[in-house]
Amino acid sequence: MPVGGFVINVDPERIEESVHRLESVEGVEIHGSDNKGNVVAVMESSTSSEMEAMVKAIMAIETVYSVALTYFNGEDEVERGRDGV
Amino acid sequence: MGLSRREFIKRTAALTAASYAGLSLPISNEDYSAHASDADSWHKGTCRLCGSGCRLELEVKNGKAVALRGIPQSRTNMGYLCMKGMLFYKLMGNNHPERLKKPLYRARKDQPFREISWDRALDIASKEFAKTVKKYGNNSVAYYGSGQAFTEETYIFQKVMRGGLKTNNVEGNPRLCMASAVGGYVTSFGADEPIGSYSNFERASCFFIIGSNTAEAHPVLFRRIMRRKMDNKDTVKVINADPRVSPTSRIADLHLQFAPGTDLALLNAMAYVILEDKLYNEDFLKNYADFRMGKKKKKVSLQKYMAFIKDYTPEKVARICGGNITADKIRKAALWFAKSEGTMSLWTMGINQRSRGVWANNLIHNLHILTGQLCRPGADSFSLTGQPNACGGVREGGGLCHILPAHRLVKKNKLRHQVERLWGIPEGRIPPKPGYHTMAMFEAVNEGKIKAIWINCTSPAQSLPNCDKYRKGMRREDVFIVVSDIFPTKTTELANLILPTAFIFEKTGVYGCTERRSQLTVKAVNAPGEAKPEVWMVREWALRLSKELNDPVIKKCVEPFMGKEPDYELPKAIWEEYTQKLTKGRDNDLSGATYEVLEKLPDGVQWPAPTKQWALKGGTDIKFVRGLDPLADKYAKNDLPYQFYGPAHPDRKLWIWLRPQKGPAEMPDSKYPFYLSTGRIIDHWHTSSMTGRIIELMRANPYAYVEVNPKDAERLGIKPGDMIEVVSRRGRNILPAKVYVGPCEGMVFVYWHDEDENRMINRVTKDAFDPGSKEPEFKICACRIKRVSGPRPLKPFLVHMKA
Repeated sequence: MPVGGFVINVDPERIEESVHRLESVEGVEIHGSDNKGNVVAVMESSTSSEMEAMVKAIMAIETVYSVALTYFNGEDEVERGRDGV
Repeated sequence: MGLSRREFIKRTAALTAASYAGLSLPISNEDYSAHASDADSWHKGTCRLCGSGCRLELEVKNGKAVALRGIPQSRTNMGYLCMKGMLFYKLMGNNHPERLKKPLYRARKDQPFREISWDRALDIASKEFAKTVKKYGNNSVAYYGSGQAFTEETYIFQKVMRGGLKTNNVEGNPRLCMASAVGGYVTSFGADEPIGSYSNFERASCFFIIGSNTAEAHPVLFRRIMRRKMDNKDTVKVINADPRVSPTSRIADLHLQFAPGTDLALLNAMAYVILEDKLYNEDFLKNYADFRMGKKKKKVSLQKYMAFIKDYTPEKVARICGGNITADKIRKAALWFAKSEGTMSLWTMGINQRSRGVWANNLIHNLHILTGQLCRPGADSFSLTGQPNACGGVREGGGLCHILPAHRLVKKNKLRHQVERLWGIPEGRIPPKPGYHTMAMFEAVNEGKIKAIWINCTSPAQSLPNCDKYRKGMRREDVFIVVSDIFPTKTTELANLILPTAFIFEKTGVYGCTERRSQLTVKAVNAPGEAKPEVWMVREWALRLSKELNDPVIKKCVEPFMGKEPDYELPKAIWEEYTQKLTKGRDNDLSGATYEVLEKLPDGVQWPAPTKQWALKGGTDIKFVRGLDPLADKYAKNDLPYQFYGPAHPDRKLWIWLRPQKGPAEMPDSKYPFYLSTGRIIDHWHTSSMTGRIIELMRANPYAYVEVNPKDAERLGIKPGDMIEVVSRRGRNILPAKVYVGPCEGMVFVYWHDEDENRMINRVTKDAFDPGSKEPEFKICACRIKRVSGPRPLKPFLVHMKA
């Protein structure tokens, strides 16, 4: 079960709407945001493939300008040696 | 209490992200620090999968890489990473089952490989090279390296080739991506590599992004540009000039969509507006600039330049450029460029991979020189590099056929003899003539002039333009090919000997990124099986070569490195020789940047860094500025604040070049009516031999497709997912269509990562190259397209080692 910590940059004029849409993506938890459009998100998924798909879905939201990772933990996956690793 | 490890990890993720963005969250992990202690060791290093130089820490648990985080104090990425960066640890150590683990050999290319010992492998490599040298001469052998090799690796390879085997046949894949940028910097500014740094992202008021899809190719740097724009929406302008609308265009105030190959006219038209509206900086021009033209670099007057530029009125150029270009848009772009407090131009392959790439680079620099948009905060003409060590290793370390370490030209006797002295080898040992450049090198393989070649950490069988032509030569049984790499590739398929190498974090070495910054990665995990660092391979190979050829000078080349253990001491000794002897006193002086200094810093050191004290501060942020660059003070010739001491311009001036519009080598015509351009997608990197093996990235983009403009698609009856034949005079692909308002009308765009023979677009591209930089024109050729069927189920493809 990989966990990622992300800063998602959204259009500062459409923060509320963006956060709402981000929250609707399954596995995404929003921990906070500021008025510059920085949104702190934690994503959890059962495989890193799923997380990649979540990031794709988020990047497709038109008010999202970038999705930047700051922390990633995949220890379970490496231990299990599954999913191509 | 009772917080689970899972909850702990999630909180760590949230807190890390929040701290990087400067947000405070109402949660903490302080009460649960016990969890942190069961973790593990963290190791600083550099991401491997582009030229940005993002710094990160790798968490190792039970000898395995299990997690990573960005380093927030790093001046390159400020702690942020992209998806490729997030997942590349999956290729390390024993994390990936397909890593090459044993040397493999076959005498003939139609035979299967069999595993052999290192002893035997090194014997074979040295005997084959020695035999070739004896029979066909020193120029019948070659090294073809990579912008992904550490500086220590490139340096020792080229030392053995030039000083030991007496040939300048030393090249690397950066020839395919940044040679035109080198040519541009040297001819415009007198010195290679950008004047400024990434720090200008936070200081610029206008970004001029041309021929770069920064959002996908350099996502972490793009984040900084985007942040600057979003925080200053009304005052910071972003101009994106590109024949293709890309994710980068999303933040642009102005998108200039010109027809492929009309870039030189567009840039000259901006210069026209700057002159006509008197937007130039008279003082800057008077103090620092000169005008030049032609092969003989003839000095000309401002008046002559003005007369030349008269031909590029915005009205006329708008007609040449086509697309959405209007005269008003050109005027607006030039005005924003000239009047902003600090304008930063950014470009990459769209400009460099042109048959007039050097000229295109010159014309961007022209705009900066004319307006004085250089050397001050936010103002810079900044080429982005595609690979992590194209700058540090290949440009600076002597990895191209015409340059020796530390920006010394092979053809200059004084500089060549200097290198021979520093290496302690006899004068005259390094031949005075540059070797084959990349395209000539593989042409020489085709012609049987090169009989033995060592290809390290790159896959020319897929990455060369018009690759079928060059694969023919590489298939020749009389050409002995050594490939050192971590995975099977299209090039290992053509090898006689495959040597398994250690990956980043499995060995120690330095990468020098786009902004002149050298950063160290120290070994953190063991390489799988018998994979070894290249520096060890080269040392052992050279010792055997010395015996085979009965030539003690070859041994002399590796003597300073004898007896050093290969994981840390050996690369350290090589770095010491390179920095303390070769770079000392040169413009890329790195003598202050020892391993000890690099290990102390969260990121690394920007040259020039002639002392440890200066290096510990991070080195030089902006070159040529007195007070900011120690060499500008040292070499000052007058009281002016800027001192352009670059080695290529003895007059210490910046040169504005008269360069006319010149189209691509191949224009669309009635038979091949479309422009074909190629490029990258965010999830994959280069030939996808690495990213294709990270299952998440492969699933996200399992194969390449051809982007077709909706208007063309409608005209040709093409629907999304239909199979499309893309044919040029050289080859053919069949790929699924993506109908997309990306490429302009009359142009198609294909990603170049796919290894499948039907979707390997370099079978179609043209191998014309820039006469100055010798960089090929990957970005433009003519093709025709045809719908061959509706959607078909497709499978991703990677080269696997046959059992």
